[in-house]
Amino acid sequence: MKKTFQALIALVTLVFLSFPSFAAPIELHYWHGHTGKLESIINEIANRWNAKQDESKLIPTSKGSYEDILAAFIAAYRAGEHPHMVQVYDAGAAIMVAQVKNGVVYPFEDMAAEHGVNFNKDDYIPGIRNFYADSDGKMIGIPFNSSTCLMYANMDILEAAGVTEIPKTYEEFEGIAQQIKDAGYIPMLQSHSPWIWTENFFSRHNLLMTDGNNGYDAVPTTTLFADTPEFITHWEKVKEWKDKGWYDYKGRAWGDNQAPFIAGEAAFWLGSAASFSGMKGVVPNFSVNHIPYWSSMTGGKAYPTFIGGAANWILSGKSDEEYSALMKLAEYMTTPEIQLFYHNMSGYAAVTYSATELANAIGFYNASPYHQAVGEQLSLTGSTIPGGYRAGNWPQIREVIYENVHKMLSGEISVEQGWKNTDAGAAKLLAQFAKTL
Amino acid sequence: MKKVQFSSYFTQYFFVAPQLAIILIFLYLPIVQTFTDAFTTQDAFGFGRYFSGFDNFIFSMSDATYLRAFKFTIIFICVITFFSCSIGLLLAVQANNVIHGKSYYKTLLIWPYAIAPAVVGVTANYFFSERLGILYSFFHNIWGFNWYDNIYDAYIYVFIAATWKQISANFIFFLAGLQTIQKSIIEASMIDCKSNFRRFWTITFPLLMPTTFFLIIINITYAFFDTLGIIDTTTIGAPSGETKTLVFKAYIDGFRGLDIGSAGAQSIIMMLIVLVITVFQFRFIEGRIHYN
Repeated sequence: MKKTFQALIALVTLVFLSFPSFAAPIELHYWHGHTGKLESIINEIANRWNAKQDESKLIPTSKGSYEDILAAFIAAYRAGEHPHMVQVYDAGAAIMVAQVKNGVVYPFEDMAAEHGVNFNKDDYIPGIRNFYADSDGKMIGIPFNSSTCLMYANMDILEAAGVTEIPKTYEEFEGIAQQIKDAGYIPMLQSHSPWIWTENFFSRHNLLMTDGNNGYDAVPTTTLFADTPEFITHWEKVKEWKDKGWYDYKGRAWGDNQAPFIAGEAAFWLGSAASFSGMKGVVPNFSVNHIPYWSSMTGGKAYPTFIGGAANWILSGKSDEEYSALMKLAEYMTTPEIQLFYHNMSGYAAVTYSATELANAIGFYNASPYHQAVGEQLSLTGSTIPGGYRAGNWPQIREVIYENVHKMLSGEISVEQGWKNTDAGAAKLLAQFAKTL
Repeated sequence: MKKVQFSSYFTQYFFVAPQLAIILIFLYLPIVQTFTDAFTTQDAFGFGRYFSGFDNFIFSMSDATYLRAFKFTIIFICVITFFSCSIGLLLAVQANNVIHGKSYYKTLLIWPYAIAPAVVGVTANYFFSERLGILYSFFHNIWGFNWYDNIYDAYIYVFIAATWKQISANFIFFLAGLQTIQKSIIEASMIDCKSNFRRFWTITFPLLMPTTFFLIIINITYAFFDTLGIIDTTTIGAPSGETKTLVFKAYIDGFRGLDIGSAGAQSIIMMLIVLVITVFQFRFIEGRIHYN
């Protein structure tokens, strides 16, 4: 009996020794704000990465909306249980860049200098690169899902209304709106008043939105909404359209404004480049176009819009091995193949030149012309304003905008008064943020 | 009389310790944390902390949206307490009189009690959605109901959602209250008075006062604090912030706006309000209630 036992132990030891020792892969936790179809695309990228190598394992977790994820990750950071990488959206960029000095965020360019292998800064499209960079142009966030606002058009409705050309400017839109309305459709809808018709109105018309050069030169103290006559004119027009039935306002929720377009009741809908993935195969015959502008305000010139969407940010407090694995992952996520896959599936822009070149080389845009709109609009040139804004408490300022837009559109207060109130509310929030710097 | 005593201090503390630990960790620590946050200015990550006195209080209270939320919360509390109590009472009295299938009625009426406020909100969403909602189209056909646009319609939306959830809680307590009333009193009153209605208001209802008083406090705290999930899943404060309650605003400022100091200050103000309401109720109303 005793002998059998000894033999067993020897056997077990031998079996264990004969196997090469496997190190468990480094787990890389990634928190993101994608849900639904976009989440499955992230999971697919993670699967590909995990199948490709076994040094690290990417574990993506969806934390809900962009707002939810920011709150979740800050709570986790304060508890010391933050992930390696987190996706934070455009309105949170000021918060994240400000946290470099406190050692919360590990700047991407620093990580690339210490652990990078194939990092090539110049491959990133400058407009996208600079949006998530500090004022010296040092890359802080890793550009990943870059979108912008675009105009979706229902081609069947336009045909039914006898409209042959998609409007490039708001003047052209005014010329055909009544025609669409007479045909029994809603001419226009818009899904995010702070983002599309506020922030991107300023970039589209080459106007400054806050003092301190949009916050790039100095900490901003006030927004310039009521002080910008072009902006006031635009919103007076919007109110006029609403009263004429050329534009329908469905409240503040994104989906409520998008729903009539999906149901085939509206001709134009202003939304995000990333809405493409959800719309494809659902709306029968639609096209994706640049967002309109007032040619009377820009002298007929089209300026680029801001980058929307989000970037990935590396958080501090992890080991060198983890950062080296993260850097390889970051390089993988910006390879032309993955970028093109993501671009194709989601509608987000490709963030590198090499991905765009690959797309051109394989004739991708001939097969899918609508994917081109986002890149084209973002790479327009000639702007004299910065390619973004750095203003703290911006998520709350967006709340103030939402509330005042509603009051203006319901006729409770005048457009000018509404934006004056917004400026006042925003100034208080900017001052509150400045106190913490 | 025999005196019951523990042999040592250790034993009693040993038995109390788990309770105390729970209270300490989940009640007192957060309160201390709230107080420190309310009197400091800090960024979302907790950096740049410094003592700032009443700055956060002044910042919150000087905000027009805060005063509006205050006003709405008062209306909200009154409406919900009134309707959920009276409907709960009505149903309890009816269910108490039912002879056949009593337990089926009771079970069905108690069910919604188990539903979380956020789920109530999501459910209400289906009824009030512009594209799918049965209640939306019903009201819309009558007076052009549109909660996206009209403040009062938005009020109706959240009132219905929040009241519906609380009716079953009130129902249970009223039903229990009705069953504690002695049969002999009811029988005696039946001889003296024929009118059901009068008997209810002169005999049954006064005997239910302790239950009613208890439920009023429960409903006020419910409307004050527990409706956060309902607001967040129905109007999200729409049309333009008019349906934001104080708790919802503190939540939005703290967890969306990441302004922890201001959210802390708002929490303390709410704590004071509830304290005042409760003290007032116990001092002035309870004295008029007869417990048997």
